[in-house]
Amino acid sequence: MSTEQLEQAAADRALVARVVEGDEAAFSSLYRRLAPGLFSMVYEILHDQKEAEDVLQEAFVQVWKKAALYDPQRSSLFSWAVMISRNKAIDRVRARGRRLRTVEAAAAEATAVPPEHSEQADELLAHGEEKRRIRGALAQLPEPQRDAIDLAFFRGLTQTEIAAKLSVPLGTIKARIRRGLLALRDVLEPST
Amino acid sequence: MSDEDFEEQASLYVLGLLEGEELRAFEARLASDPELSRAVDALRETAAQLAHTATPRALPPELHDRILAEVRAIPAAARTPSRSTAWLPWAIAAGLAVACLLLATDRSRLHDRIAALQHRDTLSQIRIASLTSQLDSAPKATAVVVWDADKQEGVLRTADVPPAGRERDYQLWIVDPQYGQPVDAGVFDVAQGGSTKISFKPKAHVSAVDGFAVSLERKGGVPKAEGPMVLAGK
Repeated sequence: MSTEQLEQAAADRALVARVVEGDEAAFSSLYRRLAPGLFSMVYEILHDQKEAEDVLQEAFVQVWKKAALYDPQRSSLFSWAVMISRNKAIDRVRARGRRLRTVEAAAAEATAVPPEHSEQADELLAHGEEKRRIRGALAQLPEPQRDAIDLAFFRGLTQTEIAAKLSVPLGTIKARIRRGLLALRDVLEPST
Repeated sequence: MSDEDFEEQASLYVLGLLEGEELRAFEARLASDPELSRAVDALRETAAQLAHTATPRALPPELHDRILAEVRAIPAAARTPSRSTAWLPWAIAAGLAVACLLLATDRSRLHDRIAALQHRDTLSQIRIASLTSQLDSAPKATAVVVWDADKQEGVLRTADVPPAGRERDYQLWIVDPQYGQPVDAGVFDVAQGGSTKISFKPKAHVSAVDGFAVSLERKGGVPKAEGPMVLAGK
């Protein structure tokens, strides 16, 4: 872990400790640090502005309620918040049976027009270097592994649905996800 | 199951792809396998980084105020960490554990231990719990647990606990709200007279202790509590 990351982890622990005590200013700081990245991820999953806002709101309310459960020895604050937000977004996708429509919308968006780009969003998003590093690591994966992980993480498809969509056996999908995730871990591990 | 199988299950688990019996079996294993738990934590950290690859979107400026307004309306009591409903029987039993009946013979020793810990400035990491009987057949059974959160280890001392029997063991559990079931802290039996003193280490990292419990299980212990609860307390 780099010095910068260690400092960030220490700052996060202090921030969460204040949130646990009910400190609204600390909660706002936490929001400013995490919300831009989380909102982008949640939107990527839902492709719906209103739903993405609702999910982010639910996620931050949960962070406020459950801050005491955050364990810095087990995960970074960012990862903890990502998992809370992503689970809520995926629940919505699955509960509303919108998987196919979401996938189609995502595919149409990807092929028809360039993704919406906002300079404001770029300014808001911290850790630009980190983003480039993650994208670089992902780009190193073989395309089949990358596709399987993307369909699982951002589209909320089940193993069976991913296998059907990519027209490969279920066992192949499991192996692709395992190999892809382990490869990402090995690439990212030195500085995470 | 091979290491490769566990890696595969862990990878699927962190992406939310395990379901049904496969999910339950994996989580049961996870609760009692610290090595697997660490592997899952590492993979979860990796998976979470994928969020960075999302296309940047502008954050609605009014969302912060909306969230803050909702947060302000939440009563303080609602911020208490919730527990899985699977814990209800345990929670009820622990709640029913009445007075804190510290064993008289343990008082002085506990005080000595506390004094020593104070000297080391680690008292804030120490939790002392009194466990009371949950059995009508052994109402005098009791125990004291001293838990060191920093070292992730503790000491259990029992009194008046009936023998477990040849085919059974007592098993100590730690209630940590982050897990869906109690964390295994090892098995033990008692000497004649029902007393014993053991040192224990839980099978998974414990972040927050919400109580301790002892159940009567088959010899060697079980990954998930099955038998009757004998002692419980906070």
